[in-house]
Amino acid sequence: MEILDKLINVALIAATLRTTAPILLVALGGSFTTKAGIFNIGLEGQMLVGAFFAVLGSIWTGSALAGVACGVAAALVFALIFAVLVVSFKANEVVVGLALNILAGGMTISLMKAIFGTRGSIVGHGIVGLPKVQLPGARDLLGSWAPLISGFTPLVYVAFIAVPLLVVCYNRTRLGLYIRVVGEKPEAAEALGISITRVRYIASLLCGLLAGLAGAHLSLGYITMFTENMSSGRGFMAVAILIFSNGDPLKVLAGCLLFGFADAFSLRLQTFGYPSYLVLTVPYVVALIALFALSYRARPRVIAETLESMRKLLSVDKNTEPGRKNPQ
Amino acid sequence: MKDHLRAVSGQVIAIGVALLMGAIIILMVGESPLRVFMTLLRGAFGDQEKIAGTLLQTTPILICGVAACIGLRGGMFNVGIEGQLFLGGFAAAWVGFAMPLPAGIHTLAALALAVVAGAAWVAIPAYFRARYNTNEVVSTILSNYVAVLLTSYFTIFLFKRPGGWSETPPILATSYLPEIFTFSRLNWGLVIGLVLAVGAALVFRYTKWGYGVTMVGSAPKFAEYGGVNVKRQGFLVLLLSGAVGGLAGGVETLGVHHRFMEGFAPGFGFDGLIAALLANGSPVATIFTALFFGALRNGSLLLEVDTSASREIITVIQALIILSVSAQVLVRKRGDSQAGERRWKF
Repeated sequence: MEILDKLINVALIAATLRTTAPILLVALGGSFTTKAGIFNIGLEGQMLVGAFFAVLGSIWTGSALAGVACGVAAALVFALIFAVLVVSFKANEVVVGLALNILAGGMTISLMKAIFGTRGSIVGHGIVGLPKVQLPGARDLLGSWAPLISGFTPLVYVAFIAVPLLVVCYNRTRLGLYIRVVGEKPEAAEALGISITRVRYIASLLCGLLAGLAGAHLSLGYITMFTENMSSGRGFMAVAILIFSNGDPLKVLAGCLLFGFADAFSLRLQTFGYPSYLVLTVPYVVALIALFALSYRARPRVIAETLESMRKLLSVDKNTEPGRKNPQ
Repeated sequence: MKDHLRAVSGQVIAIGVALLMGAIIILMVGESPLRVFMTLLRGAFGDQEKIAGTLLQTTPILICGVAACIGLRGGMFNVGIEGQLFLGGFAAAWVGFAMPLPAGIHTLAALALAVVAGAAWVAIPAYFRARYNTNEVVSTILSNYVAVLLTSYFTIFLFKRPGGWSETPPILATSYLPEIFTFSRLNWGLVIGLVLAVGAALVFRYTKWGYGVTMVGSAPKFAEYGGVNVKRQGFLVLLLSGAVGGLAGGVETLGVHHRFMEGFAPGFGFDGLIAALLANGSPVATIFTALFFGALRNGSLLLEVDTSASREIITVIQALIILSVSAQVLVRKRGDSQAGERRWKF
């Protein structure tokens, strides 16, 4: 009995990692735009076209890798349109993002009808899914815990490896620094001679790259099919995570694990016979609660920070306002 | 007047560009653009039944559009109209089938509950937006998914019509919105929509409250200085927008479907938002943009029958229209110097 429990736990954690991967990829992509000071609500659409064209590429070439490349390319095109309109034309980012999401939904359905003559979903047609990577030696090392590190599709590893890479990028590379400066203090960036336009374009395209990978993971990862609007709000959840994490990779990871767990847990509840409609709301409700709770928490901190910076700015004596700040 | 003309001509040019891009996509899908556009036109205005059908499709888009206009005026993106519409639709259906009331009063009661349901659904995001500045775009979008699933749950697990498909029992005839013509399901909902649009325009133009809302939307600092309680105003604006969104659902239930069902009225909330954006937040202009989108929608029904293109092609065209309108800013910047007070700077 004990062993069974343990196995279920391992399976649940493994499932959590699996369901975390797509949202983590897309949220990390959004981290670039968030850090560069762009509110990117278009993640959902980029992910959706990524998923669709990954399936298309996989069918055409018979190779999963080429499929992923196609998905990424499509998402990059969407990211480029977003950047042209938002960065160059200075259009409203919410309007453009929403319009691109709607475009992605309509376009994928129209193309599906035109190419496959069906509505709803693409199954079969020789879609090649991504292989599962069995790490050698994982079983010897961890025994029954091996499913925690081995047997995932490649993009799951990419997602989790990308987290430390992004941390390094933001803290140790010139590009990361530029992105942060452009996002936090555009005037300073301008004064330093950094091209805000170019940095924002690069951030948008990096975002498209990761969103495309996320989409490809959705349609070629564990299930090899495409269904209408299959991103089902994951892009929006990613935006919610980005809002309360401020795009910091580690906080993004924490948020995504929460949603991955909510997702995996709700799938599990469904198998126990709870009404699927209610269970399916769980990830969205978790996202909403997290969004509200953390914005509630963020409020006093903003004041504390403002006081702090005002104190520094005015270089007021430290004991003029002791103990009043720092509510935490 | 000249500014007015220029604004309208700008939108028309944008629509033209979008139709051109749409034509290219239609070619990619393997259809003739001319045939698709002609079919759309025929499907939308071919005969009097088709025209009535177009007006029928226009109704929810118009009401949702007014809901979006209210939000946009106050500087709020209510992207959750879809969810408010679903809850309003369900609430109206519930009053319709569960509460026997005299005719007339029944309809009003159902509409009233729809309004309350829509407002209640947006209340939490609105509160957090007003009080803690929580991004309302994300919270309302996410609540859409919850609303759709929740109403499906109500419909299928709690109030399913015995032996029926995934739908509630039909509402009582006392709660119907009366139909205008005999040959179409077109009903008084359209009149409600028109009255709302004109009423909203009058409120924005002639009342102190409406002026305050517009001020908060365009220059919150100035409004606050002028004595407007910006937070309270923002909360009320979203609440009102949600209430109108709920009303749209109620009208759809009482006027068209006479029951609530799964997948009821898909996309009307988003169409309304797009119509309001294209109308630049003006409720009266929304009447025309809603009519345009209603025609597209009704035309697309024939599209599915007569051509190999899917009806979602009109969604593509709508998205392209919004994208090209939003890109217009370059064209505009040269001419008018300070048209920059446009609230959500397309």
